[in-house]
Amino acid sequence: MAAHETVQQEVDLNDLEPILEGFKEEKWALIPLLQQVQEKYGYIPPDTIEPIARSLRLFPSEVQGVVTFYSQFYTTPRGKNIIRVCRGTACHVRGSGSVLKIVGQNLEIEPGETTPDLNYTLETVACLGACFLAPTMMVNREYYGKLAPPRVMSVLKQYAPSKKEKEHGEG
Amino acid sequence: MERVESIMGLEKVRNGIVQRIDHDRPVIRICMTGCRAYGAAEVRDALSEEVIRKGLVDDVEIRETGCHGFCARAPVMAIDPLGLFYQQVDPEDAREIVSRTILGGQIVERLLYREEDKRGRLCVHPGDIPFYRSQHRRVLANCGKIDPTNLAHYIANDGYKALARVFAAMSPEEVIDQVERSGLRGRGGAGFPTGRKWRFARSAKGTPKYVVCNADEGDPGAFMDRAVLEGDPHRVLEGMLIAGYAMGASKGYIYVRAEYPIAVENLKIAVRDASAMGLLGGNILGTGFSFDVKIKEGAGAFVCGEETALLASIEGKRGMPRPRPPFPVQSGLDGKPTSINNVETLANVPIILLEGPEKYASVGTEESKGTKVFSLAGKVQNTGLVEVPIGTSMREMIFDIGGGIPKGRKFKAVQMGGPSGGCVSERYLDLPIDYGSLQEIGAIMGSGGMVVMDENTCMVEIARFFLSFTQSESCGKCTPCRLGTKQMLSILTRITRGEGRAGDVEALRRIGNAVKDSSLCGLGQTCPKPVLSTLQHFAHEYEAHIRDKRCPAAVCDAMMISPCQHTCPVGINVPQYVAAVGKGEYDRAVEIIRERNPFPSICGRICHHPCEVKCRRGELDDPVAIRSLKRFAADRYFGNRHKAPEPFARTKPQKVAVVGAGPTGLTCAFYLARMGYGTTVFEALPVGGGMLAVGVPAFRLPLEVIENEIEYIRRRGVEIRYNSPVNMNFTIEDLMEQGYEAVFIAAGTQKSQHIGIPGEVDGLTGLSYGLSFLRDVKQGRDVSVGTRVAVIGGGNTAVDSARTALRLGAERVEVYYRRSREEMPVTDIEFEEAVAEGVQFHFLTAPTRVLADRWRVSGLQCIRMRLGEADDSGRRRPIPIQGSEFSTEVDTVIPAVGQAPDLSFLPPDSKLERTRWEMLSVDPDNLATNIPGVFAGGDFVTGPAFVITAIAAGRRGAVAIDKYLCGDTSRVELYDVREARPPSEEKVDDLQEDLGEKPRVVMPVRAPKKRVSSFEEIEIGFSEDQAREEARRCLRCDLEQ
Repeated sequence: MAAHETVQQEVDLNDLEPILEGFKEEKWALIPLLQQVQEKYGYIPPDTIEPIARSLRLFPSEVQGVVTFYSQFYTTPRGKNIIRVCRGTACHVRGSGSVLKIVGQNLEIEPGETTPDLNYTLETVACLGACFLAPTMMVNREYYGKLAPPRVMSVLKQYAPSKKEKEHGEG
Repeated sequence: MERVESIMGLEKVRNGIVQRIDHDRPVIRICMTGCRAYGAAEVRDALSEEVIRKGLVDDVEIRETGCHGFCARAPVMAIDPLGLFYQQVDPEDAREIVSRTILGGQIVERLLYREEDKRGRLCVHPGDIPFYRSQHRRVLANCGKIDPTNLAHYIANDGYKALARVFAAMSPEEVIDQVERSGLRGRGGAGFPTGRKWRFARSAKGTPKYVVCNADEGDPGAFMDRAVLEGDPHRVLEGMLIAGYAMGASKGYIYVRAEYPIAVENLKIAVRDASAMGLLGGNILGTGFSFDVKIKEGAGAFVCGEETALLASIEGKRGMPRPRPPFPVQSGLDGKPTSINNVETLANVPIILLEGPEKYASVGTEESKGTKVFSLAGKVQNTGLVEVPIGTSMREMIFDIGGGIPKGRKFKAVQMGGPSGGCVSERYLDLPIDYGSLQEIGAIMGSGGMVVMDENTCMVEIARFFLSFTQSESCGKCTPCRLGTKQMLSILTRITRGEGRAGDVEALRRIGNAVKDSSLCGLGQTCPKPVLSTLQHFAHEYEAHIRDKRCPAAVCDAMMISPCQHTCPVGINVPQYVAAVGKGEYDRAVEIIRERNPFPSICGRICHHPCEVKCRRGELDDPVAIRSLKRFAADRYFGNRHKAPEPFARTKPQKVAVVGAGPTGLTCAFYLARMGYGTTVFEALPVGGGMLAVGVPAFRLPLEVIENEIEYIRRRGVEIRYNSPVNMNFTIEDLMEQGYEAVFIAAGTQKSQHIGIPGEVDGLTGLSYGLSFLRDVKQGRDVSVGTRVAVIGGGNTAVDSARTALRLGAERVEVYYRRSREEMPVTDIEFEEAVAEGVQFHFLTAPTRVLADRWRVSGLQCIRMRLGEADDSGRRRPIPIQGSEFSTEVDTVIPAVGQAPDLSFLPPDSKLERTRWEMLSVDPDNLATNIPGVFAGGDFVTGPAFVITAIAAGRRGAVAIDKYLCGDTSRVELYDVREARPPSEEKVDDLQEDLGEKPRVVMPVRAPKKRVSSFEEIEIGFSEDQAREEARRCLRCDLEQ
């Protein structure tokens, strides 16, 4: 099941206020503000667009335009673990296509999608700048390099949900 | 950290720090940036633990540094004051490092870098390692040396000294003047003179002015800026401060990719510390100059590397470019003058002001000064960060510093400048790297990403890859880029799927040029470059994809079933027969091979196996030993008693004649017979097999093996008439008159070529040509060689002649070849076997005269050669070194420099058209000559080639003749056709339960000492267990969807 089909979570807009407050005085605040909103919620909940626009004296369409322009702003909830498979040139010539395939097959999702239990989101990235270790991927903030199929599997295992989480996720 | 109020105060702080440094205290400098991806953090933890355990916390410093550059060997570390360099360090090594190296002052040899050449010298210090030897690390001087989060480290290494000097004694104009005189050009790719940019910004009207550091390193394959930001962030801040002072700016922004979390973190720390010390902010060092720096994290848009898009993004808008002029130096952020400089450019600035523009400009080329940092990645041994003077050649970068291509594969191209750059082919390897020189050949310097590609990289697919990147990153503002990239991508995708059409190449060129000429910003203007440059340098690969539906690199999945089969010139279904061997079904394996190749036993011995180079298992550990498995299956087959095979049913009325019973002729006859034609082979010699029978020595291919294979072909209904030469008395026309409706000429290459040097006179005792020498030996004639034999040439015939001479009792056999090992067409195994047997090779040595004494060879005069620049074929041309002649005493000279077809059997009035080079003129597609019904192929047409190419020509000939006889005039198309799914029990998962590394089974061979005394076969062959074990290593690429 793809992320856009998952049920939208309730968003607590009370958390938004302090963030907006912090950017009141700042020039050109929109992008850093959105980055903080995303840090807080894991994505940019649609309900936050209007308050953000109001606070920065912008049109909601301007905010929405920026959100959709940049690939690192997300409008749907994302997994607990973000897997970014590098599709840069060096990784590409060293077989990152297969790495992506293996991850996708194992998690049963396509790039850009999130697992139904919200544990993983799979993404591709143009280059992680770790070309010397190609093929590479990044899980959250950790880099993994020289990936051969067995290593990909062992990395994925490290981020598998614990039994308890699993039950919760399925329930 | 205390605020420093004056320039003198800074110097006092510096002196204090330097004085406190204890130079005897051991420091372990471990890379904590790039190497973290390969376990550096675990190594650090293990080291800290060990240091605590030993109670050495105060005696040893474990310093977390930036990138050391030699990323291929991650995790790496250096240990002071010994100056050691350890690589591929494991947490388990921590104990030994502390006890032996730190406490004992000894070297742990296992952790040293060992040179990859034969001598395998151990490198103790970084300077001993070839990777570092010819580098000039100036911008990267601190990377790997200092803790980037420790401002004191930077200050101790002359940090902020250039700034102090500028403040103390220079006016802004003087700073600009010095930067201009240094010749520094923008390192982001375009190469605009930095000083000039600053001058424009200084003279532009408007305040405040801005300095923007472009750290949005988005080019796939580039990681130079990342290393500088992570490993030496203060250097960038110092560069920005100087830029701000020079142009009169008070604000700075660093726009950094969010994909670089360590860089962001280290930059934030650097800004915090520099501000605390009063190096940023108001009234810096009491000079009255104020400068603030803000860090802006990108949000994932490649186009933001373009300067006007970057400015829009800083201003919180969609990152879309706008037309220039006005240039940002006139109207940038907020409409104010803004100088946008790349990370590496700014990092160069303190060096210039510290050592003076003259010294700075002493390295580099006429046009461009200083050094450039490159990130070397892709299919190259030593991946990592490399800093060299501008003007270094690509060959030096890739082969000397980079250590060449891994797994013995061939270099194909180097991609420079990412999606805005181009692919450079082998013939330009000697070009000095400079902004201008690269521009001329369709590439760009770019920011410095160099991705090396080997023979297993498909250039069409690479072009598609870049286009898919730029297409998705195109911001969509201007039409040419938005629509053009989409169109080019769809054409390229079609081509890589095997659906290319005539006219595609022209369309790509047309659209590419239109996008280049009419797009709004740099992204659009440069994005066609990967396509246009591959079209320029690798047109033949496009041709192969579009016309023949072949991917020469065996990458484009849609066109093939498996890379090995796709690469095999005859297209044997390799995975299926390997699987059959794995299951013990040896006869079935031979059956599968014979679908495409009637010589399993011969090819199992002497094929040069291009399939193995493309084997995907080779990416994991070693390629599957495909050739040896073929031999095993064939040996099993011929070793068992079979009832004699039945002739193929004769279903067609026509008869075909084949001239020559070599591999090409017999293959053609075999497949024609299988199609139901009557086939007769006319052979001049009393034996079949052609070159295999007379030119390949028995220790590589026993005669019996050839006989078995020919006997099988004969029994399947091919008539072979020995001692039946086709010549003036019995011509091709005679054959046609006898009722053969088609003739296939496969007469091979029988004529040895002369070297063409003085003294090379026919009839000289001790002078015999490779091929006739081998033939005489194989036919059992009484051949004697002297004690000292010189063989001339570098091909199979040369190496076989040398090894044969050894077996005939020569004491010393030397091979003279004018090129180097790399250009020799023999396989590694053959070469190594010859060396093990005692053959000596003299590379880059060409004979200049055969010396004789009374009609008897007495010596050979030679000259040494060196390799010059690459010629059109990409091979480096050998050039004689004047004055290096020498002569050597020999009593036998065996030239083996090539063979040519002997057309003398054709009557002079034959209507068959010939080329200028005395070869037959033949359509390479259907092998037809100018006379209808007469076809020709194999070595006879192409010149000497590999046995498998000869067999492929025979099969192509059979298909072409069948078409001709059926009245079909269309192209001969031999595509890989996916057969019905194999039985369902064969699932990839079942076969790949064990994906761990497992090297290939080693082929047992006879010991060199024993084998030089006989002509017995060298390779013993796999045992059944070995063969089945090896067969199970196959990844079954054919089963993947």
